[in-house]
Amino acid sequence: MASVALAPPADTGLIRAPPKPLLLVAIALAGGAAAGFAVVLALTSDHVREPEVQAALIVWVILAYVLAGVIAWWRRPESRLGPLMIAAGFGTFVSMLGWSNNELLRTIGQTLDFLPPILFLHVFLAYPSGRLERPSERVIVAAAYLTGIGLGVVRMLLGGFGPDSVFKLTTEPGVADVVLRVQLVTSAALALAGVGVFVVRRRGTGRPLRRSLALLHDSFALALVMIAVLAMRAALGISGFETIQRITFFVVGLAPLAFLVGLLQARLARSAVGDLLVELRADPAPSDLRDALARALRDPSLRLAYWLPQFRSWADLDGRAMELPSEDSGRATTLIDRDGERVAALLHDPALRDERELLDAVGAAAAIALENGRLHAELRARLEELKGSRARIVDAGQNERRRLERNLHDGAQQRLVALSLELSLLEEQLGADSHASARLGQARREIATSLEELRDVARGIHPAVVSGHGLAVALEQLAARAPVPVELNVELVGRLPERLEVAAFYLVSESLANVGKHANATSATVEVARTNGQVVVEVIDNGIGGADTERGSGLRGLADRVEALDGRLRIWSPKGGGTRLRAEIPCAS
Amino acid sequence: MRVVIAEDSVLLREGLERLLSESGLEVVGSCETAEDLLLKVRSYVPDVAIVDIRLPPTHNDEGLRAALEIRARHPSVGVLVLSQYVEVGLAMKLLADSAEGAGYLLKDRISDVKDFIGAVRRVGNGGSAIDPIIVATLLSKRRSNDPLVELTPREREVLELMAEGRSNQGIADTLVITLRAVEKYVSSVFGKLGLPSSGSDSRRVLAVLLYLRS
Repeated sequence: MASVALAPPADTGLIRAPPKPLLLVAIALAGGAAAGFAVVLALTSDHVREPEVQAALIVWVILAYVLAGVIAWWRRPESRLGPLMIAAGFGTFVSMLGWSNNELLRTIGQTLDFLPPILFLHVFLAYPSGRLERPSERVIVAAAYLTGIGLGVVRMLLGGFGPDSVFKLTTEPGVADVVLRVQLVTSAALALAGVGVFVVRRRGTGRPLRRSLALLHDSFALALVMIAVLAMRAALGISGFETIQRITFFVVGLAPLAFLVGLLQARLARSAVGDLLVELRADPAPSDLRDALARALRDPSLRLAYWLPQFRSWADLDGRAMELPSEDSGRATTLIDRDGERVAALLHDPALRDERELLDAVGAAAAIALENGRLHAELRARLEELKGSRARIVDAGQNERRRLERNLHDGAQQRLVALSLELSLLEEQLGADSHASARLGQARREIATSLEELRDVARGIHPAVVSGHGLAVALEQLAARAPVPVELNVELVGRLPERLEVAAFYLVSESLANVGKHANATSATVEVARTNGQVVVEVIDNGIGGADTERGSGLRGLADRVEALDGRLRIWSPKGGGTRLRAEIPCAS
Repeated sequence: MRVVIAEDSVLLREGLERLLSESGLEVVGSCETAEDLLLKVRSYVPDVAIVDIRLPPTHNDEGLRAALEIRARHPSVGVLVLSQYVEVGLAMKLLADSAEGAGYLLKDRISDVKDFIGAVRRVGNGGSAIDPIIVATLLSKRRSNDPLVELTPREREVLELMAEGRSNQGIADTLVITLRAVEKYVSSVFGKLGLPSSGSDSRRVLAVLLYLRS
């Protein structure tokens, strides 16, 4: 198999190497130790009510974040989400130092009391890349750190953590309480702002493709709402604070779980790549490739764009130029290269960014098929180009012929008629008997012959009657001069585009000439009708059939005329069964 | 007889004016566009308008359209259309449902002065003038069970001249036979073709042309 290289995705930067397993194991163990220490703190604390329940909830949150963070870091090394979740787990642990009976640890813990909700907010908003992509998100998170930690320090310095607290400058418990309320109200507001970010994102990209992702987003939003409710109740001093706090902790711990479920599903989704490989082995038509990829990626909105280097443009399968969606269009783009050459782009749901490996695997599996699709698109684009230039050549030729005919008509023909008239008037003056008059008569007859020949030439160059008076009028003359009786049925309302009329005229003219030369027919029918956006011209005779469609008899030239207008010509000519010629030419009504 | 001319070639227009004046017809107006023609016909109401089928600006069907408009709006004005090519379809379009005061001739015909002036006078008097090429084309048209084969050569000649719009006297003069003989041939032709013998010369033209066309 040819080597397949995938271009680095534009949105995640360099793919990082996964962290060393030893480091991950160490972090997991440290998380376990922190959880254990938190349990000890809770059970030995002299100021924690119902320590067992609190200890269980804290273990739930710490382990959930640290372990999910370790797994995320391992599976998605290119995302910073893993380290961030680990930090959230340990941050939670640090704030629980507030339970300690030791004054120093207690002061540290109480100062950093707001750290966990800030980290949760950070994790949620940074999902899935681990980075805060939008300025609004950065502002929210920065404000949260500032008020959460900054004002915590202020409270500490004001002696807000009781008489035994260390690092206090003064003892102003009243002021410290006001600062606490400011902190609570601010964090409630910021949590709700975070919910607002989710609502805006959802509006931009629509509901995520996978249930697990939707669940994840919902758990984020729910956790933020719970944090806001918790903070508001505390700020207003409403009772029942502890119940709310416990529910909040529980919900906050659900988010990493939902994240793990999503990762697991992504692994399962990759089995779809196996199915895709089987499908591709059957060598599907380029038009079926999109469907196969859409199934493998489970993204029905998937579109493919092919890179056409000659045209320096992206194109769809039919070779029509297209633009890749811009970054803020709510669509994501994954570029696919093969042997260092750009081949195609997958235009997919941005939610698929969470499944980098799946995208990569599908891209790698389908690279050859996509290359086929690219060649197909390129062929179609060239064909379209060729069609366009052929139509232009036909038009240019026709315009030139019309100009020539017109010059003949306005020039030589008019002059000869005027000359003939002049001679005739001279003849009248000379009187009938003179010898000169006889010679003038002879000259006039010569001119008449020239005019006749000139008329034939002009008619051969361009059928002026067709452009002047339309197909129906012109066909009547053809039918009258045809070598066999012709039944003429022209069902046209108004005029057709001129090049189409001229093509149809020549078609009937040549066909009737062929009927006279080859068909041995006793009658013919000519039908012209306009139906369903096309003009159909049929010439049918009752002759001997067996027309040679390959060579001679001008049939190739007729087919060229029709095909130049994007139409097609078909001929049925069974031996002894007459000949039927049918041209279908597209004609927008 | 008063005449209006529409012809965009100066050479021909002046030639026509001279030809008509020298033949005792009065050219009351001449112009080179269809628009001017309609204006002149409306103001002068001539006996006949001589119209080039290809007139500016596009040289497509302006002349023919002007001719049809004159026939519709001014039934008393005869219209003689001149063209570098004559086509059955155009003749039938011009005549539509009446050959009265209508003519359609190849431009070359103007140099046969006597014939041409005769045609102008015929059309000006409400008669018809159909180019022999049209008649010849229609006569040569292939038909299954062609009744034309029944005609004697003389009857065929009479039919041709009838279709061109000539009167019985005109036919008699052309073929150098008596009026009586012409009448005999005419009724014999009508009998063989199964056509009802009709009144005026121009009705006869339309009937014969329609018969030949079908």
